[in-house]
Amino acid sequence: MVELPAFLPALPELFLAVSTMALLMFGVFGSDGTARLVGQIAVVVLLCTGLLVIGHGTERAVTFNGMFVMDGFGAYMKVLVLIGSALSIILAQGYAEREHMNRFELPVLMLFATLGMLLMVSANDLISLYVGLETQSLALYVVAAFRRDHAKSSEAGLKYFVLGALSSGLLLYGASLIYGFGGTTQFDRIAGLIAASPTPPVGVVVGMVFAVAGLAFKISAVPFHMWTPDVYEGAPTPVTAFFAAAPKVAAVALILRLLDGPFGHMVEQWSQVIFALSLASMVLGSFAAIQQTNIKRLMAYSSIANMGFALLGLAAGTEQGTRGVVVYMTIYMVMTIGTFAVILCMKQHGRMVEDIRQLAGLSRSHPLMALGTAIFMFSLAGIPPLAGFFGKLYVFLAVIEAAAKHSELYILAVFGVLSSVVGAFYYLRVVKLIYFDDPIETFDRQSDDSIAAVLVGTGLFTMFFFAFPVPVLNGAAAAAAALFTG
Amino acid sequence: MVIQSIVFYVFSCALLICGVMVISARNPVHSVLWLIAAFFQAAGLFVLMGAEFLAMILVIVYVGAVAVLFLFVVMMLDINFVELRRGVVRYLPIGGLIGLVLVSELVAMVSGWVPAAGALAQLGAPVPPVDQISNTRALGQLIYTQYFYLFQTAGMILLVAMIGAIVLTLRSREGVRRQNVPAQLARRREDVVAVRKVPTRGGV
Amino acid sequence: MASFWSGYVLPLVIIVAEIVLIVGPVMLGVAYLTYAERKVMGAIQMRQGPNLVGPFGLLQPIADGIKLLGKEMIFPAGANPAIFIGAPVMTFLLALVAWAVIPFDAGIVLADINVGVLYLYAISSLGVYGIVMAGWASNSKYAFLGGLRSAAQMVSYEVSIGFVMITVLLCVGSLNLSKIVLAQQTVWFCIPLFPMFIIFFVSALAETNRAPFDLPEGESEIVAGFFVEYSAMAYALFMLAEYGNMILMSAITTILFLGGWLPPFNVVPFIWVPGIIWFAIKIAFILFVFLWVRATVPRYRYDQLMRLGWKVFLPFSLVWVVLTAGVLVGFGWLPKNIG
Repeated sequence: MVELPAFLPALPELFLAVSTMALLMFGVFGSDGTARLVGQIAVVVLLCTGLLVIGHGTERAVTFNGMFVMDGFGAYMKVLVLIGSALSIILAQGYAEREHMNRFELPVLMLFATLGMLLMVSANDLISLYVGLETQSLALYVVAAFRRDHAKSSEAGLKYFVLGALSSGLLLYGASLIYGFGGTTQFDRIAGLIAASPTPPVGVVVGMVFAVAGLAFKISAVPFHMWTPDVYEGAPTPVTAFFAAAPKVAAVALILRLLDGPFGHMVEQWSQVIFALSLASMVLGSFAAIQQTNIKRLMAYSSIANMGFALLGLAAGTEQGTRGVVVYMTIYMVMTIGTFAVILCMKQHGRMVEDIRQLAGLSRSHPLMALGTAIFMFSLAGIPPLAGFFGKLYVFLAVIEAAAKHSELYILAVFGVLSSVVGAFYYLRVVKLIYFDDPIETFDRQSDDSIAAVLVGTGLFTMFFFAFPVPVLNGAAAAAAALFTG
Repeated sequence: MVIQSIVFYVFSCALLICGVMVISARNPVHSVLWLIAAFFQAAGLFVLMGAEFLAMILVIVYVGAVAVLFLFVVMMLDINFVELRRGVVRYLPIGGLIGLVLVSELVAMVSGWVPAAGALAQLGAPVPPVDQISNTRALGQLIYTQYFYLFQTAGMILLVAMIGAIVLTLRSREGVRRQNVPAQLARRREDVVAVRKVPTRGGV
Repeated sequence: MASFWSGYVLPLVIIVAEIVLIVGPVMLGVAYLTYAERKVMGAIQMRQGPNLVGPFGLLQPIADGIKLLGKEMIFPAGANPAIFIGAPVMTFLLALVAWAVIPFDAGIVLADINVGVLYLYAISSLGVYGIVMAGWASNSKYAFLGGLRSAAQMVSYEVSIGFVMITVLLCVGSLNLSKIVLAQQTVWFCIPLFPMFIIFFVSALAETNRAPFDLPEGESEIVAGFFVEYSAMAYALFMLAEYGNMILMSAITTILFLGGWLPPFNVVPFIWVPGIIWFAIKIAFILFVFLWVRATVPRYRYDQLMRLGWKVFLPFSLVWVVLTAGVLVGFGWLPKNIG
């Protein structure tokens, strides 16, 4: 008989998978009105999964023949992913009912995507990395096209699918080269083999570059960002919020685990790649956003620039840098969800509007919403003492520290500061529109309590992060340490 | 051995020719048929390697199911393929350039290929050797034990794909009369037939 | 040079002789299956059936064959010649190559391969190509509709056939057809797996496009379906393939569920009869049921056909796979020597 592997480290994933399938059955066989209930149960399921993750603790455990790893880093990132998904599902509820896409499959598919993200975060093998990524992506392609009667939504889904398939191809090609080098797909063994060879051979370097390119596509780092604005614009708004939050966290986690784990001894090689990705993303994201008038496209470029800042910390190649990335992703996710909660409130005569000029004079008709928007915009621009500032602070600190050894990192830091100044321009333009321009037409009254709750929660986090930064900082430090000590 | 190598070269050459024909055939239906032929040659190569299970699965899954759907779609499509070819000519230079760059990269990489020192040790076969048990059994032992995590996750991917296909295409139409088999079967003679005594000149 | 003769030429000659030995009787069987069909249908409908050519009309199939050979082949305008000719050839070929792995008696089999069941499954799943290609290449609406119907139908029913085969394989522990037969020495699988037997038989009807699942031909709405444009020898090849497939599916049913060449009881009068005769008798019985069904059951409507395949057979056979596996594991009845 074969010995059963340990299932306990994967308990959250197992729970999520089984309850998602149960929820699917419930949705299929339930009556027509179950969509709302399914959404509510989905949030509860995510909460329970989060509790299971926390309950497991931060002890490192490897199971399924070394394909699955659970450690402090995984626990932190999984909780983050789960929060992002739960908030997105809450945002999607009211929207779905208004826009006649109220079908139970939406929360179910979002749960499947979340499952894929958890598997990505816990991947300890090139194949499990790929299957996790594919579970996530496939569900995301479908939810992007969820409003199938709208040309833009279908276009978003199709575009995302075709380019996503291409990026999967790149990733697999890289993985095959790495396998050809090491004869193994498992992260720990690859790390051992790379550590043992004096200089990494060109084959494995090329393989690593391809794998990073495939993953860079998922976090929409320049030059793999082409899909982002169209998909963000076309997909239903809460789905866009979901895209901007949870998958980004999971993909960044995957990049961190891959580069700090098996390729931990190739910092010299990959830091150049990350350097280029980070620089290009920051600059392009900031400059291209200036001329956007659609707020969802604006957020797309904003997320590109933000990914550039996150990669900045990784380019440092140190534990400090990794901690910076984790903190940045935490704050980025909360800010993004909050901003999308604001976007979801932008309605005129019951219809969604996406043009930022419609925000003009918001302060006079909806002072609270205007305040919330202003907070998120200031925070995204990195104005102290809001949360966004601290995210950038820790990343830049790590880069400056590492720059003592690698002087080219100073260039990166300078470009980072410059592009955050450029970025501040378009974020502050929104604030100017809200507070200083004359109103054209006012928005409808906000009636959805759940969106308001998300808005208030994320707003409070963003505002008062400076007062209570310790849990996040400690968590991020522990996560980074778990990754580096192995 | 002679026969084996002859068969190998026959299958390989045929596979390459079929592959070329897939992309060069003018008629898309012919392309799909060439593709099917290519699958067959690949299955033949698998048999030659002693991987008969894979060969059969290749034929069953790809030829018997996937290619049928391809054929189905291609036959019903109404695409002007002359138009498409014009695009090919236009993009040929840039496509060829990218292909050339990739090929030269591959050559550069393979020429400098150095597997890790311990790579061969890592490759060690994790199953009883294939010459002792049938390869169906060997595959089963691997998939359902060592790789069962991946196997299950792949199942989840397929489930998501299925849900996606249904979500994006299924429409419930109004006013369609559906056959209700249990209702038909539950129908009794007494419910629908009444025997009445009709008086002469009286009518019902 | 001697090794060349004994090593290559002699085995080749032997293999060719064996192939002829298998194909000859199969073709003869096909010819007389058409005769049997007309006689059985005649009897059921209180007619005589063919009775003029030769004693009891026994030479009728020969006469039909000669007539078809003598006809002129007609190419429809705009047909795709290579595929138009290729389709019947391929259909006919597939109906014959499957016989390579069929065990007629203990040890009497052309190729005793390990994955015999998969081979049969693969070959039967290819049958759809001949029909789809014929439908497309004829450049005719009726033929095209017939081809599409056939493709959808065969793909649908293959799935449940696959699951039925899996339940049998679970009980045997091998994909080798001879081992499957030998595993039925105590009891034929049609008894413990009776529902699967029925599903397999019905799916076999659908897979061979026989009544009541002969929608690809559907003469009342699409004339003769996929072979409406065919004539002469090409038409004859389609008919030969259809009847060849019927015999093949009967043989597979016999092997999977009726104990192949094994006698019904392992006692004296039965074991005197050679295995190959038992095999033939069982095939003949299944074939008779094929004809019987054709003569009695009206044709399914298309949506009913799809409903039966996807909503009834598929879930049912899936449940049976799980159930069989559960019972085998639960009672410790799993086959011991897996191979």
